[in-house]
Amino acid sequence: MPEADVEMKPAADDKAAEEKASEESKETVPPTPVEEIKASIALIERAVTTLEPRFTHRVLRSLTSLKRKIDFSVLRDAVNDVYSKDTLVKESLLAWLPPAPAVEASMEIDQAPLPQKTPPPQSDPLPEAEVYLRLLILTLLLSSPDTHAKSMEMAHETVEKIQAWNRRSLDPLAARVWFALGRAYELGGELADVRPLFLSAQRTASLRRDDECQAVLINLLLRNYLHYNLYDQADKLVSKTTFPTSAGNPQLARYHYYLGRIKAVQLNYTAAHTNLQQAIRRAPPAKTAPGFFQAVHKYFIVVELLMGEIPERSLFRHPVLEKALTGYFEIVKAVRTGSLTQFQSTLSTYAGQFSVDRTYTLIVRLRQNVIKTGVRRLSLSYSRISLRDICVKLHLDSEEDAEYIVGKAIRDGVMEGKVVHEKGWMECGSGKNAYGPEVSEVFGRRIGYCLELHNESVKAMRYPLNAHRKELAAAEGAREREKELAKEIQDGELDDDDGLGDF
Amino acid sequence: MVPRPQTSAAGVLALLSEPEPLLKQHALKALNPLVPQFWAEISEHITVIESLYESDDLPTETRDSAALLASKIYYFLGEYDEALSFALGAGSAFQAETRAPGAEEYIETIVSKAIDRYVELRSDETSKSQTKIDSRLQNIIEGIFVRCIEDGEHKQAIGIALESHRLDLINHIYELTRDVSLLSYAMEAVLDTNFSLSYRDQVLHFLYPLFPPLAANSSHVHALTRLLVTLSSVTLTVPLLTSLIPHEMLLAYQLAFDLTEGGAQDFLEGIRNELPEGDYTTQPIYDKLRQILTGQVSVKLYLEFLKRNNKVDMLILKNTKDALEARSSIYHTALTLQNAFMHSGTTSDVFLRENLEWLGKASNWSKFSATAALGVIHKGHFEEGMNILGPYLPSDAAAAQASAMTGPQYSEGGSLYALGLVNAGCGSGRGVEGYLREKLRAATNEVVQHGAALGLGVAGMGGKNMDAYEDLKQTLYTDSAVAGEAAGYGIGLIMLGTADAHVADEMLAYARETQHEKIIRGLAVGLAFLYYGRQEEADSTIKLLLAEKDPILRYGGVYTLALAYAGSSNNAAIRKLLHVAVSDTSDDVRRAAVTSLAFLLYKNPGQVPRIVQLLSESYNPHVRCGATLALGIACAGTGLQDAVEILEPMTKDPVDFVRQGALVSLGMVLVQQSEVSTPSMSSTRSLYAKIVSDKHEDPMARFGAALGQGLIDAGGRNVTISLQSRAGSRNTSAIVGMVLFCQFWYWYPLAHCACLAFEPTAIIGLNADLKAPKFEFVSNAKPSLFAYPPPTKPPTKESAIKVATAVLSTTAKAKAREKTKEKEKAAAENGDLMEMDEKSDVKKEPKTDIDMKDEGSTLAAAHGDVSPINGSLSNLPDPADSATAKPEPAKAVEVKKPRKTEPAFEKLPNFSRVTPAQLAHVVFPPDCRYHPIRPVSTRSAPASSAKGKAAVNGIRSVAPAAALGLASERYAGGGGILLLIDRHPEEPVELMESELVSEAPVATIEETPAPAVSSVSSTAPHIALDENAPEADPPESFEYPFDDDKD
Repeated sequence: MPEADVEMKPAADDKAAEEKASEESKETVPPTPVEEIKASIALIERAVTTLEPRFTHRVLRSLTSLKRKIDFSVLRDAVNDVYSKDTLVKESLLAWLPPAPAVEASMEIDQAPLPQKTPPPQSDPLPEAEVYLRLLILTLLLSSPDTHAKSMEMAHETVEKIQAWNRRSLDPLAARVWFALGRAYELGGELADVRPLFLSAQRTASLRRDDECQAVLINLLLRNYLHYNLYDQADKLVSKTTFPTSAGNPQLARYHYYLGRIKAVQLNYTAAHTNLQQAIRRAPPAKTAPGFFQAVHKYFIVVELLMGEIPERSLFRHPVLEKALTGYFEIVKAVRTGSLTQFQSTLSTYAGQFSVDRTYTLIVRLRQNVIKTGVRRLSLSYSRISLRDICVKLHLDSEEDAEYIVGKAIRDGVMEGKVVHEKGWMECGSGKNAYGPEVSEVFGRRIGYCLELHNESVKAMRYPLNAHRKELAAAEGAREREKELAKEIQDGELDDDDGLGDF
Repeated sequence: MVPRPQTSAAGVLALLSEPEPLLKQHALKALNPLVPQFWAEISEHITVIESLYESDDLPTETRDSAALLASKIYYFLGEYDEALSFALGAGSAFQAETRAPGAEEYIETIVSKAIDRYVELRSDETSKSQTKIDSRLQNIIEGIFVRCIEDGEHKQAIGIALESHRLDLINHIYELTRDVSLLSYAMEAVLDTNFSLSYRDQVLHFLYPLFPPLAANSSHVHALTRLLVTLSSVTLTVPLLTSLIPHEMLLAYQLAFDLTEGGAQDFLEGIRNELPEGDYTTQPIYDKLRQILTGQVSVKLYLEFLKRNNKVDMLILKNTKDALEARSSIYHTALTLQNAFMHSGTTSDVFLRENLEWLGKASNWSKFSATAALGVIHKGHFEEGMNILGPYLPSDAAAAQASAMTGPQYSEGGSLYALGLVNAGCGSGRGVEGYLREKLRAATNEVVQHGAALGLGVAGMGGKNMDAYEDLKQTLYTDSAVAGEAAGYGIGLIMLGTADAHVADEMLAYARETQHEKIIRGLAVGLAFLYYGRQEEADSTIKLLLAEKDPILRYGGVYTLALAYAGSSNNAAIRKLLHVAVSDTSDDVRRAAVTSLAFLLYKNPGQVPRIVQLLSESYNPHVRCGATLALGIACAGTGLQDAVEILEPMTKDPVDFVRQGALVSLGMVLVQQSEVSTPSMSSTRSLYAKIVSDKHEDPMARFGAALGQGLIDAGGRNVTISLQSRAGSRNTSAIVGMVLFCQFWYWYPLAHCACLAFEPTAIIGLNADLKAPKFEFVSNAKPSLFAYPPPTKPPTKESAIKVATAVLSTTAKAKAREKTKEKEKAAAENGDLMEMDEKSDVKKEPKTDIDMKDEGSTLAAAHGDVSPINGSLSNLPDPADSATAKPEPAKAVEVKKPRKTEPAFEKLPNFSRVTPAQLAHVVFPPDCRYHPIRPVSTRSAPASSAKGKAAVNGIRSVAPAAALGLASERYAGGGGILLLIDRHPEEPVELMESELVSEAPVATIEETPAPAVSSVSSTAPHIALDENAPEADPPESFEYPFDDDKD
């Protein structure tokens, strides 16, 4: 499950990747990573000057695709290019990179002249650019296990710098840095130590109305609590904070996932179900973030079973999920048939996997559900059945047991019916009307959801900059043509006259 | 192994419910450091903690720490108000916490909340509905003030004090520092941010006595002027003026000049009446003061300046005249307006004189406009106004006759309107007003009534003359559409800014009653004038008007909102306007709403492009059109690059009236810009020329281009357009003028009112006798940065031939084609080829045109055709010229210098044009005999010398232009008429030879009246033209075409 979160990132930038791909195909020559970094920095600077954070977001979306292309030498070149003069900032950045091996350096020099041609920027790069470079170095440091300690140190330093600057234009970058910091601690296995830092940062972020950082920090805190099974603390945090609505989809999906887990543990399955469903909907496509997709589905299936529902069969045929969910598939089969023995054997077979997934405690709760499912199945097939037969079909020990279970099931609303004790049988009520008021309610909810989605996407739309000017040029062209036409008609008349005169 | 960190505060929390107080105390102590980590958990027990704070049987220390704990919990929960309340309750514990590490954010938040709460309470308290303020809160605030003062953060302290209505603190701070700039800061803060009118006046009254007595060159003259103008309080001003007399009489004069600049008419009149007669030594001084306060001296001085420096490029006018077909009334009006704007205030009617035939083609309302244009040209020339307009004014004898005939009514109406424009803003209480009223009463024809009502309104603007109001009302009640509309405007103008409820009711009632849209519009805009500058007092009327069903009344509501909050940048008002701009059902209202943004935001022109950008891309052409005008009016005279960047593409808009608006606005924005400071200058000029001469262009756009041409060269290139007066206050007549100008959409003659917004940009030095001595001052900037644009060159001979071959006219083309056809009959292909050639030639033509302009712009001097002007300039009958060659007009100096060695500064004589952006660079050299009594500019430009050096080094980057744009963003006041201290009073005074200024006998003028007509290219005669000239050649000469026309 830990990998789930990391894999989230690739998720966010399929679009950016597409954009990039199309750009690249146009240019035929893909830009070198150094150029890409420089282009990103230019975009960030534009975001700062125009007060438009979306340029920064665009850069951040391309972060993961960039991550695959860069290494330390690329970064070293980038730092050298961006900082023309020898400043403290440059030194501090280079200090984090391992010294360049001689051979490699000479090779790089061969390439270097091309970008060198562009005149070095006049003024010092903005702090945003520095943070971006630091972020790149951080991601690189995080990716190899030898440099974890170093990355943690660097993340700390960066965070301190960001807090000292206190610039709103830094927020999106800062959020990523916080994430990296959390990641560094998690890999180091010292998650508990960082909690006070996160808590104070979360407070600061909410004071500064820094939504991005707030979202990331709340998620980090929840993750932190859940890691140590501190469900109570996590729940209190959730109930006392408001998750910023403007947070991006990846953060929102994460938040819903954690919320779903908390709710499931607290026996509030309906809420857990909604949250997990939201998490699935908000999550990026399965292919780009398989880890998260699988993790959410594991919980989703368990919660669905706990609610007395059977997940759809097609779910288990999904290419991403098929392998990961084999154990869960077995469990579902057991629950579906209502066979306790099969359930028990499956549970013992896959116990190891379940405890790694942290779903074991929830699955253990399913035992009751297995029985309930059996009873329900019976209630659907029979309008009246003796308790004795129930005993036989569900492999129960005694008729009393059966009566008790059936009574509980009726009270829980799993099925409708009544137990006729004197005659020793169960009478099942007629099935619910499929088109009752609750159906329309559900329907209404769905419509509301769709409308909201529509509104949100409308709000997220932007007019392309200066598209208007193109239109103007076109209009001018049209008018010019019209004028020419008018002139030509005039000329034509004259010509005709001339022609007549000539003849 | 490190011990596992604590994962819950549950253990300590449990102690809270123990009965033993000691345990509780311990628990509270233990919880305080735990809050940041476990606040979510602890917050579950907030009720327990609160009850501990409230329980009486605990020691105070414990209760304090309980309060602090509760405060912190609420802080973490984001309930800052609650957090503040408990923090106040925490007392000593809170004080201790302020020094604790790690709690900075908490303390900061609480303190800022405390300030907010305090400000809120204090502003409520003024209405006496509030109980006493919590003393603990008071203590915190006092602590903040003390700390601010200790740290030297005086401006912050003043800001908080202003907001929390603690004027005593301002006094305290001032006594500590004795820094006058802090008082000015407080004054500006209270004027420029959104405070209520009553509080604003209260603060100003409070600040006024704090200012130290005025002395020569004290830095707060500007601030004091602004304060007095804003308060318009006669009782404050008169003692100030009398205290300055006899010793500081120069300063008194200066103050009087500055007051006339922005003061309302009744205010000035009040001062005039209240000034003491004085004894035999002081009497002449008081008389002079009174004279200055009539406003006529300054008008005369500016008139002299405009006349002297008139730089109208007659060729532009001629080209426009040739291009626009005079028979079409829209084109005739366009040229009339262009001419009027270009010559506004210069008293030069040469163009009209030279084009009597064209003038004669005016008919009906274009005749009205043409006659009214005379008023614009002679604006401020009130002594001669009656004489000049005499031939057109309705004569008493002819009145009866006129009613029978329909001919002269348009010129009569126009001339009455013109008379109003001549006396704009200073006609109230003088003969003109009476004359106009009389004519209004006598007139039976609606056109004459229309002219008289408009004239009366413009002349008596803000005069609050009840008789005039009654007369106008009578006209209104005749229910004639034409006369009623003007009466509506007139009433509004007369009662400008009075917010008279009775008048407003009458106007509104009639507007609802009448059937004529014109009258409703007149009344609606009139209502807007009524509430000018009244801010919140206008709110109820605005609400009423904006909710009307009739779109014209809503239109008025929009303008009421704009005028009531003019220049205040009030956020609520802007929001309301933006809402109307995108939601109203009527296009007119939406357009007006967007345009009106300019009136709210003219003090921060830099903001407007950003706000208007999206609107300028609206699908609705009316909104786009409104956006253009908003940019034009708000950024007028700044040359702001952002505004130009939005406007330029809009000149290509598919809809004609948007193009019109863009062209007009470009003219306003680029007025008085030089080609060096604004790169798009020459391209805009050539764009105007192109559109005006393009036959296939829509009439609306050509009209706009002509108007733009007029505005960009307004007032002989010596005026700027600004809604802000030099002292930094609102320029009332400019705002009114621009609102009326915006009505040209419905009624072209109202466009003339734009001239009310024309502000001459001069430095005029006067000595103690109010005479203009000769002297020079230095402008520390490259001359070309603020140079006049070079005159358009008449086509030289070679180029004339070239043009002839490529004439666009179809007949010429046809002829050419005929020729080619004859020639090439044998070989058809060849003929085709030729045709191709010809086409390419035609296409090239506009290019060569631009090239020519560029050439002109580069000042590739020493061209044959420039020198005549140059010669004529240096041949000016200037006695000083023979003695020293220095005081040549700037232009001449510039032309002589080769381009490469452009000096970093230039010397300018008295009565020179100094554009607003240039003011920051103006210095009086230390060796100069005369020095101004107050700082030239309200803001100095320390970087100016550095910039000058950069210019010398030949770094021709965009940077200076950008810096310029910034400087003009909120450009400094100052300049204008300056009283000068004479350092060598014993030496003889060399005066500028000017009839108007010195009031010397006419005989001193030695130059012969210039020949009235000369070659078109020469602008020389006007400079020499003195004010007697118009009298010498009476303008009757172009009366006859009108008569000729009438039949």
